[in-house]
Amino acid sequence: MIGRPPRWVPIVVWLISIIWIVPLVGIVVTSLRPPADTVLGWWRLDHVVFTVQAWISVWSKYPLAQGFWVSVQLSVIATVGSMVLTPAAAYAFQFLRFPFRRTLLIIIINAFVLPQQVVVIPLFTLWRQVGLIDNIASVLIPYVGLSFAWSIFLVKNFLEDFPFELIEAARVDGCGPIRTFSHVVLPNSLAPIFAVGILQFLFCWNSLLIPLLFLRTQLPLPVVFAQIAGTYDANWDLQSVAAIVTTAVPLVVFLAFQRQFAGGAMSRSGSKE
Amino acid sequence: MKSHAIARRRATIAAGRVGLIALAALAFSAPARAAAADVSGDLVLLDWAAGSEEDMLKALEAGFMKAYPNVTFKEINLTTQGDQRGAIRAALQAGQKADIFINTWPAFRKELVDAGMLKDLTPLWTGAGIGDNLSSSWKDLGSIDGKLYGITYTFGDRSAMFYTTATMKKAGITAQPKTWDEFVANFKKLNDVKVNPIAIGAKVWSHTEWFESIYEHLNGVDMAAKLTSHQIPWTDPSVKNTLKKYAELIKAGCCGDANTMLAMDWDNASDAVLKAGTYGYQMIGMWNNDRAQSTDGLKQGDDYFITQFPAMGAGHDDVASVDTKEFSEFANAANPAAADAFLAWIDTKDAADIVAQHGLASPSTKVDGSLYGPVIKYSVDAVANAKVQFVMGDLLPGDLVDEYRVQLQKFLQDPSDATIDAVTQDLEAKAASSY
Amino acid sequence: MTEATSDIEGVANKSPKSPATGGGRRKLAAARWWKNGDVGAAYLLLVPVLVLFAFSVIYPLFQTIWLSFWDIKGLYPPKFTGLGNFLALARDATFQHAVVTTLLWTGCTTLLSVGAGWGISLLCALAPRQTLMPRVLIFAAFGVSEAVTGYIWLGIYRPDAGGLLNSVLTAMGLGGLAHPWLGDVNTALWCLIIAYSWAQTGLPLILIYAATQAISKTVIEAAYIDGAESGAIMRHIIAPLSLPGLRVALFINLLGSLRAFDTIYVLTAGGPVRSTETIGFFMYRESFTQFKLGYGAAATLVLLIAVLIISIPAIIQRTKEVR
Repeated sequence: MIGRPPRWVPIVVWLISIIWIVPLVGIVVTSLRPPADTVLGWWRLDHVVFTVQAWISVWSKYPLAQGFWVSVQLSVIATVGSMVLTPAAAYAFQFLRFPFRRTLLIIIINAFVLPQQVVVIPLFTLWRQVGLIDNIASVLIPYVGLSFAWSIFLVKNFLEDFPFELIEAARVDGCGPIRTFSHVVLPNSLAPIFAVGILQFLFCWNSLLIPLLFLRTQLPLPVVFAQIAGTYDANWDLQSVAAIVTTAVPLVVFLAFQRQFAGGAMSRSGSKE
Repeated sequence: MKSHAIARRRATIAAGRVGLIALAALAFSAPARAAAADVSGDLVLLDWAAGSEEDMLKALEAGFMKAYPNVTFKEINLTTQGDQRGAIRAALQAGQKADIFINTWPAFRKELVDAGMLKDLTPLWTGAGIGDNLSSSWKDLGSIDGKLYGITYTFGDRSAMFYTTATMKKAGITAQPKTWDEFVANFKKLNDVKVNPIAIGAKVWSHTEWFESIYEHLNGVDMAAKLTSHQIPWTDPSVKNTLKKYAELIKAGCCGDANTMLAMDWDNASDAVLKAGTYGYQMIGMWNNDRAQSTDGLKQGDDYFITQFPAMGAGHDDVASVDTKEFSEFANAANPAAADAFLAWIDTKDAADIVAQHGLASPSTKVDGSLYGPVIKYSVDAVANAKVQFVMGDLLPGDLVDEYRVQLQKFLQDPSDATIDAVTQDLEAKAASSY
Repeated sequence: MTEATSDIEGVANKSPKSPATGGGRRKLAAARWWKNGDVGAAYLLLVPVLVLFAFSVIYPLFQTIWLSFWDIKGLYPPKFTGLGNFLALARDATFQHAVVTTLLWTGCTTLLSVGAGWGISLLCALAPRQTLMPRVLIFAAFGVSEAVTGYIWLGIYRPDAGGLLNSVLTAMGLGGLAHPWLGDVNTALWCLIIAYSWAQTGLPLILIYAATQAISKTVIEAAYIDGAESGAIMRHIIAPLSLPGLRVALFINLLGSLRAFDTIYVLTAGGPVRSTETIGFFMYRESFTQFKLGYGAAATLVLLIAVLIISIPAIIQRTKEVR
């Protein structure tokens, strides 16, 4: 407990967050009401009847278990990939000297501007030619490749404040650049790495466009749910269930790992508290 | 017979990111391979239908495979959002091969024909006896320059207005208006019970329906055909007269304020008429019939019905705006024999009855009319003796369609004569570069 | 001798726990014994990244650049047009309007979402343990996909009494303010901005909050015990710590808002009368609805070049030297 923080702080923050999530509460409630009641507005209260019908029919109509498993696979692999490759790259950009360092960095960071639609069509043609359609590599490569634009920036930004004395000390001790990375920088950079991990997990988990195009048989959750939107029926109740199920997992992941990346255990000098 | 057209332009809200296209190949194989027949092998359909339309397609496929046991129907399913043409084009460009596909846009048909991708079906009309099941007006609708490219298997009336019996009763309207003047006169009765007469969902596209039906009733389908092929300019007096008539409607208090119209999409308008009862009429396609029954839980005939666009007395009252769905065959189809057989089969009695059973109108002359529900039956009768014009939003070239919708939005914001001049000029400028 | 980066100095001065190293302002020896090993090590660390990046970004980028030189209309044969698309864009009033809309959109959503995230995270930093749940809740808004965000806010902005906003206004007696929010060109963009910022605040919140946690809690405790009040703690300890996180959040939210699409599509479809059409939406409409791939590609490139022009000086400045 930090000393004595003023009492009004948690109250104000709680208030803000409660108002903030009113729309989300709406989704949860919509998933528990029959669609006819919500067709005129998801929060209309003229006729309030609760039913778990939507939850049951989503489970029976769509291959949720398989979708869940596929989503887990894709997201975990992509997340691990980013968490491993990004710090290495950020370290290289920050602490090593090599030709084209700045150009490469500029290109990578600005790639973030490219909308997904631009990236996806040429890749589709390429994967088709190479025969990678319906292979998880076709999805994992863009997942990880596209993440570098923001993840390298994030980690590099953190490394800019990394205490240089430690790197120096490592050099004095005779460590080459790679050993310095693995023994000095990496262990002290867990916070941004976990930040990258959590965000990458979230983005991959929610990703719809890429798996929609590149996968055919094993589909992750967002694609499964994309088939819910009927042409006539709004199916708001089913879509709400879909939204809740899809959002719940990354939130749980965030909760589980938020301490790691909130950096509570880390201090900048490298010495433990 | 029930009529049913796909809400293809619906801005569907998916639970994930709204992307553009998806290619999910769905292998669809039939169980039995029976004794040899002339037609065999795989028949591949490039399919973008969803929901209950997809159910009907599956039924049609099953029916066809019963008639031709050696054929295996396969589908390539495109999950799409909004205008499906983007998805279809991308698939075709990426080298996706199929034998047949469903088309609902004459503009797209033209594009494919110009790219040499569609097979000329004119020989099939007489050769395979398609002409026995379809009247020649459907042949005309599916043709370009006299050559047939698409076989219509379902159609929808786009000049009919939905209303609920409850609202009409509340307003004291006992008989539906037959003429324009009666129609406008009824506005007062509706406004008096706090019901806006017409729900126009101007958020994306459905506000154009009124422009088109008014145009066709004032000027006839021949003029409409000239307009859509840019033989007459958009600054033509016929267009301005139509817009002035449309403006009359708005000034007579039909629709509430412009911003509300712009905030409503066709489904909000549909809910307002059918469920909330805050609006009286909505002119929208026959897919609304399905929505009324499944989403709103209403009973057709008892709770709601449709009435055809009123007569305007300009000598062109035997017209109707329609949409259709047709099957077309690719020029590079791998199995042309099976594809031809399917196209010939799709309007036979068996196929037509399947369409009717699924709540859609079939153009076939052999269809069993008793399968239709009251709403579809009404629409079929209304279109039966009318000169038809395809709905313009599907007919105009891509660039122009978007401009058309946006300019009509501008018009709704301020339906004055000055705006009409500006709008028609802008439309003509765009049209000049679009053809 | 190479200069140490000023960033390092800054941290060394701020970080209360860094060992005294001659004032932290060390002019470092050239460390030449690394230099040769650098390039090799860099390649080793970077090759997998560059390969994946090349596939996912470089290749599509080149395709886009190539496409932008062609006039493509649907499936008709493409015509080579060199810079024709770019010239047409410059004359296109709709594109010009989209540029203005994009500037407004990007500026406001970034300011709102990062500003709110910063403010809330600073408050949370004062009382970390008690504010865990609120942080999770606000992050949940970020975790929901863009399209679902659009759907949620559609229900809030509905023009009739079915809309949450209008109903609340009426209940508060302000029925006169009830409005068709998304149908009025004056309010549509602002409503969109609010909806999008609502969703995007979660990210700056957690990034900046994480940055503030870099300091040991005992320091803050000691400060409280010493009688410092929250305002001072905020100003002198927490706020400075939050700056690195703020930088990252600004970058990600700024560039992210340029890619926003689903929320706009669902809420207004670029309307009414194209008033909420950003460059991203313009690109989508041209490329995928009207299938003028070349024109859409040119629009994307214009956006990319604009961002490059702004970001290159910033990046160069911050990567001036390595040691």
